[in-house]
Amino acid sequence: MVRRWADYKTEAWVQWCPGCGDFGILAAIHRALAELDIDPRRLVVVGGIGCSSRSVYYVRGSNVHVIHGRSIPVASGVKLANPELEVVVVGGDGDLLGIGGGHFTALGRRNIDLTILLFDNSVYGLTKGQAGPTLPVGVKTKALPYPNVQDRVNPLILAYASGYTFIARGYAYHVNQLKDLIKAGIEHRGSAFIDILQPCPTYNDMMTKEWYEERIYYLNEEDPLWDPRIRGPEDHVKIPRIVEKMLEFGDRIPLGILYQDLTKTTLEDRFEQQMPGYRKAPPALRPISVNGRAPVHPFKVFKDKLIET
Amino acid sequence: MVDLSFIIGGPQGGGVESAGQIALKAFVVKGYNVLGTREYHSNIMGAHSYYHVRVRDGPARALKTPVDLVVAIDAESVLTHISDVGKGGYLVYDLDSVDVDATKIASMEPSLRSRLRRFFADMNMKPTVGSAVKVLEERGVRTVGLPLKDMLKKVSDTLGTPIASIAKTVNVIGLTAGLYTQGVSLQHIVKAVEAQFGRRPKILAPNITAARVAFEFMEQNIGNIPELPDGPHRGRVRMIASGNEVVAMAKVVGGLTFETFYPITPASDEAFYIEENKYVELGELSEKLELDKIPIAVLQTEDEIAAINMAIGAAAAGARAATSTSGPGFSLMNEAISMAVEMEIPVVITLWMRAGPSTGIATRTGQQDLLHAIFSGHGDTPKIVIASGDHVEAFYDAIKAFNWAEEFQTPVVHLLDKYIASTITVLDEWDLDPHKVSISRGLRIENPPEDYRRYEVTDNGISPFAPLGSAPMLFSSLEHDEHGFASEDPVDREAMVEKRLRKFETIARSIPEEEKIALHGDPSARVTIVSFGSTKQAILSAMEELEREGVRVKFLQLRILSPFPSKAVMDAVGDPELLISVEANAIGQLALLLRAYTGIEVKHFIQKLNARPLYDVEVVYGVKRILGEGARRVVVSGGA
Repeated sequence: MVRRWADYKTEAWVQWCPGCGDFGILAAIHRALAELDIDPRRLVVVGGIGCSSRSVYYVRGSNVHVIHGRSIPVASGVKLANPELEVVVVGGDGDLLGIGGGHFTALGRRNIDLTILLFDNSVYGLTKGQAGPTLPVGVKTKALPYPNVQDRVNPLILAYASGYTFIARGYAYHVNQLKDLIKAGIEHRGSAFIDILQPCPTYNDMMTKEWYEERIYYLNEEDPLWDPRIRGPEDHVKIPRIVEKMLEFGDRIPLGILYQDLTKTTLEDRFEQQMPGYRKAPPALRPISVNGRAPVHPFKVFKDKLIET
Repeated sequence: MVDLSFIIGGPQGGGVESAGQIALKAFVVKGYNVLGTREYHSNIMGAHSYYHVRVRDGPARALKTPVDLVVAIDAESVLTHISDVGKGGYLVYDLDSVDVDATKIASMEPSLRSRLRRFFADMNMKPTVGSAVKVLEERGVRTVGLPLKDMLKKVSDTLGTPIASIAKTVNVIGLTAGLYTQGVSLQHIVKAVEAQFGRRPKILAPNITAARVAFEFMEQNIGNIPELPDGPHRGRVRMIASGNEVVAMAKVVGGLTFETFYPITPASDEAFYIEENKYVELGELSEKLELDKIPIAVLQTEDEIAAINMAIGAAAAGARAATSTSGPGFSLMNEAISMAVEMEIPVVITLWMRAGPSTGIATRTGQQDLLHAIFSGHGDTPKIVIASGDHVEAFYDAIKAFNWAEEFQTPVVHLLDKYIASTITVLDEWDLDPHKVSISRGLRIENPPEDYRRYEVTDNGISPFAPLGSAPMLFSSLEHDEHGFASEDPVDREAMVEKRLRKFETIARSIPEEEKIALHGDPSARVTIVSFGSTKQAILSAMEELEREGVRVKFLQLRILSPFPSKAVMDAVGDPELLISVEANAIGQLALLLRAYTGIEVKHFIQKLNARPLYDVEVVYGVKRILGEGARRVVVSGGA
C-alpha cells in the first residue's frame, strides 16, 4: 500500500493563526512521510510546548506531547528504547534552543538517529510575542515594549559545534523544497537538524514573509557543485566553506543542506557495539522475566561481592 | 556474646575505605555479622573520613558509640574521635604524630579546631595528639602508638622496594594492629586482604607484608591477646554489599532495561554498579533470548531533567525504565514527575536522600525529602512512595516499585538515603530471593486496535497500556480526552481528574496492608515509636536494649508513604500512652503526615539533625529522656 499525504492528517482542528508558517511546515511533513511511506504506527512525533509543538496532534503517528523544552530527551528515550521506530521532534526556537538548549547540544554528542525540525520564528507566539532566542539584538517586534537587548543564537553553528551530523535550513512557505529536506533528514542515520525559517504573521512584524523572501537563496541553485557531504577525512577541506555558509545570516540567507557527515556512528551503533544483541532485544520490547519470575538469583550474577566463610 | 564496634579514621584517599572493607571481610570470614559505613567529606583527597563498623554474632543492626577501638591513621583522626572511644577500649595511633597540634591541621574543620582548643585549654593542655593520648589514657583507654615510619621501612626492606611505592599500606598496618587488639588472627586478616586485593597482585603483596609486619609488632609489644572465637555464621557463601549495590542488583534481576542518571552523591554508585553489570548473563532469560549476555541501556545524561525525561520516553515506548538521584536532582525532576502523572507513565525514581537544604552536606545522610517525594510535581500529582528500612527491604522494594509503576502506570519514588547507600552489610542467599516477588507488568497490550484509546476511562482508573509504536496513539502532557488529544473541555477535564483519582484509590486498595506498614515488637506496648526509612534497624536494636531494661516499646514502621496508609496506621497506633516520632529532619515531616491523614498528633520527637546516621544507643537515650522527663524533643548528636 502506498500512502498518500492525507493519510497522515488527523481529525484534530489545526489551531494556528491564518497565514502562519506552521501550515507550510505541516504540509511538508505530511508529504515527506507519504513519499517515504512511513507506517504511522511506527512513527513517533514528539513535541514540547509552543504553537509548533502542537504538530504532534496534526500528524498521524504514535506521538508524545511533552512539557516545555524536553522533547529531545523524551524522544531520545523512545528511540534508544526501540531503535526500530522513526522518531521526529518538532518545536520552536524557544522550546528547543531556549529552555531546551542544554538538551539540544547534548543530542549532537550522542548522534542518536532523530530528526529535529525547528520551527524558527524568533518569537514566543503562545505567550503573546516575547523575544525568542533567534531574534537579533536591537529588533523591536510589535509585542516588545523596547528593542531586544539579547542577541540571536546561530542554530546552525550551535548544531555543528554540538556534533549534529546533518544540518539543513528550509523555508516554511517553500513546501516542496522543505519536503525534500525533511525526507533527507529522516533518511539520514544520526542526529539531523533542520532549521525552518518561519514568519509569524501575528507577532513578528519584522522578519516577515517579504523580509525572508528578499534574502533567502538555495545553495545548490547558486552553486550546482555544492556538496556538503563528508564521506571521509579527504572531505574535511570543505569545512571552512560550510562554516562560512552557516555564518551567513543578514542580507543573504542560504537554504538547503549545509552539512552532512556520513562517517560517524550513532549512539545506537555504539550500544550495539558494546552490547551485541541490543538491537535484537531492545529495551522496549525484550522480555524481562521467565514465567513472571526474575530470571536469576543475584548470588549467581554478582559474584564479585561473594565471600566464603 | 560478641558485640564489637570500631572506627578507622584517616585522610580521604588514604585507604580508609579499603581498610574498612578488609575489616568487614575479616569478621565475615570469621563467622560474624557486620555493618559498616563510610563517613566522608565532599572532597577527593585530604579531608578526614572514617569507617564505622559494628560486629555481632546476632544481627548487626546499627552503629553505636562509644566504640571499642579507634584506629587513627593520622593525627586528625585521633583528635576528631577523642570522644568516641570508651573505657577499656583501644586507640591505635601514629607515634610520630604526638606533637601535631590541632590548630595547625589545615584540613580540620575550623569549628572542630576551636572546640578542641577550648577542650584542652580547660585542662591547661595544648591541643595535640600527645595530649589526646594522655586524656584518653586517664579515661581508661588503652593506647597503642605505632612507629609507622619504621614499620613502613620494614615493609619496604622486606620487599626490597622503595618506601614511596608501599607508603599506601599504612592503612593495613593500622588496621592490622587494631584487629590484633580484638583478637583477630593473622590468618583471617590475610584472608580478608586477599579477598580485597586478590585480583590485583601488585597491590596484594605489599599489603600482606604490611599486615605481617604490624602483627609481629603487636605480638612483640602488646603481648598475647586471646583469639576471638569463631562466630556462628561459618561454612557458607555470603555476600558483602552496599545499599547502592543491592538496589542495583535488584534492578538488574528485576527487569530493568533502561536506566539514566546524572552524577550525584550518594546516588551515582548505584548507577555505576548497574553500568558495570549492564551486559551480563541472566540465567534463564539468556536462554530464552538466545543471548549470552542481556543488554541494559544505561546512559549518563546532561542533567537530571534529561535523565527523568529520557526514562519517561523509554517507558512510553515500553521499557522497564528508572533513574536515580538525590535531593537536588529530584528538585530538577519535579516538572517531569508531574508530566509522568498526567501522561500516566510507569517510571521509577530511586531517591537517595542526603542532607539539605540546597547542596547542604552532599556526602551525609538525612530524611528531609519525605514531603518533597510525596508532593513532588505541580498540580494534583499523587504517586507511590515506598521507603526501605534496610538492604533487604531495599532489594524487594526496588522490584516492587517496577511492578507497581507498570501495573498502575504511575511514577514510583523509591525512597532511600545516604546511610543505606554507603553502608555495607553481610547478606545470605535467602535474604535476596528474587522469587519472593513476582514480576508483573500490568494491563499491557502489544497489539492494540487501530482506535486505541490511551486514556480510556475505566472503573478502576487504569487504561490498558500499549507501548509507543504499536498503534497510532497519543501520550499527552496536556489535559486530554480518552484518545490523548489535548482538551480543555470541562467534562473531559473532570473525567480525567476523576480517573486519575480512582486510579490512586485502586493503588491504595491493591497494595496489601502488610506491605504498607510493619509493626515491630509487642502490639500491646504502651510506648509507640513511629518512623520510616533507614532508622529502622537502629530502632529495632534499641528495642532489644530497652526490653532488657524493662521498657516495652512497639515500633510502627511506615513502608508506603503514599498513598498514605491511614487505616493501617490508626489500627496500629491505637491509643498509646506515649507516641514518639523518630526522624532525621527538623520539622517532623512524618508527624505532619500522621496528623494530616489520621488526626493523630505526635507530641514527642527523637531527631537527628547533624547529618550523621542514627545510633541505637541514641534511640535508647531519647526514649528514656522522654519517659523520664517528659521531654518533647530530644535531639541526638552522635558521630564525628
